[in-house]
Amino acid sequence: MIEQPRFAHASEAELARILDYYGVRWEYEPRTFPIMWGLDGKVVESFSPDFYLPDLDVFIELTTLKQSLVRRKNRKLRRLRELYPDIRVKLFYGKDFRALMLKYGRFDLAASLSGLEGQLSVDRANARPKLAVVVAASPVLAEPAQAASTGEIAPGTSQPASIAAGSRRRVSRGSRRRRGRRAYAARLSA
Amino acid sequence: MAERAARLPDLRADIGEILIGEEEIQAKVRELGAQISADYADSSVTLVSVLKGSLPFMADLMRAISIPVQIDLMEVSSYGGATTETSGLVRILKDLSSSIAGKDVLIVEDIIDTGLTLNYLLRYLRGKNPSSLRICALLDKPARRLVEIPIDYTGFSIPDEFVVGYGLDFGEYYRNLPFIGVLRRQLYETA
Repeated sequence: MIEQPRFAHASEAELARILDYYGVRWEYEPRTFPIMWGLDGKVVESFSPDFYLPDLDVFIELTTLKQSLVRRKNRKLRRLRELYPDIRVKLFYGKDFRALMLKYGRFDLAASLSGLEGQLSVDRANARPKLAVVVAASPVLAEPAQAASTGEIAPGTSQPASIAAGSRRRVSRGSRRRRGRRAYAARLSA
Repeated sequence: MAERAARLPDLRADIGEILIGEEEIQAKVRELGAQISADYADSSVTLVSVLKGSLPFMADLMRAISIPVQIDLMEVSSYGGATTETSGLVRILKDLSSSIAGKDVLIVEDIIDTGLTLNYLLRYLRGKNPSSLRICALLDKPARRLVEIPIDYTGFSIPDEFVVGYGLDFGEYYRNLPFIGVLRRQLYETA
């Protein structure tokens, strides 16, 4: 069994599964592009697109942040395209990904895959990512009981247990990936 | 029974906006049919429809083509469907009924968004050695594209909205609407 990389966000793990499903080869964060240098010539800012699809020669950057918070990422992407015009990068926004989940009938994931709510928990027995899930967008479309059976919902709330317990809900623009990795590492060591 | 009825969608009321009307669709289908007839003049073409969404488009398009056509149907499993957890890989749920080796094949799709399904189908069908393999899509949603696919015949390029009708579904409903409409956002998003 091929071990999965440590994804920073549940949406990345889900996209990897989708690509696997359709037989599209992918690499996770295989390359880092410097996009800004200090006066001393040292790299002060870089950009590592989430996925590279070697057969299609395209990078994919997936962001599940709220639309209002993607400005910084858009700026980095513009800079990347200026500096590396031959590189093909596709930015997949949170709304795009949620729409994709809706298309595939994953109503629970569509509701949950956003910011911290999408942070990974790990099924350590088989090293496959397991998603924390909130209840479906509409009770007409999926039964809450069904969502509860597949996710980690705190009693009496539609939030995952970690969020309902009072953990931070706002996601700063710059630290989502770092915070995600810290949360992921903390869960591994728990 | 009453509870079940309450869960059924209200086909018209659930549509926030009609994106492409019935007459506009039919006019475009006739236009595509004429173009395909001209491009494949003096030969025939095998239309391969991908179930289930492209069924109305296929039915209308084949009648708008004036040259001899053969048709075939395919169905592939979709990610998130019942088969996802068991195999983890896309599966051909219904394969072609006859060989397409040496034939001019036109894939008839309702909508192309990510391009993942079509990318898989193209690889699969190329392995069956058709003489040519082209794509006809009624709707193209380029904003959602993950895999670039060359589309030979495109009906409409549409914005990044959740559309239903004319074969397109949401939860298997709305396929029988004669137009293409934008589904009300509150039906699939949390408040």
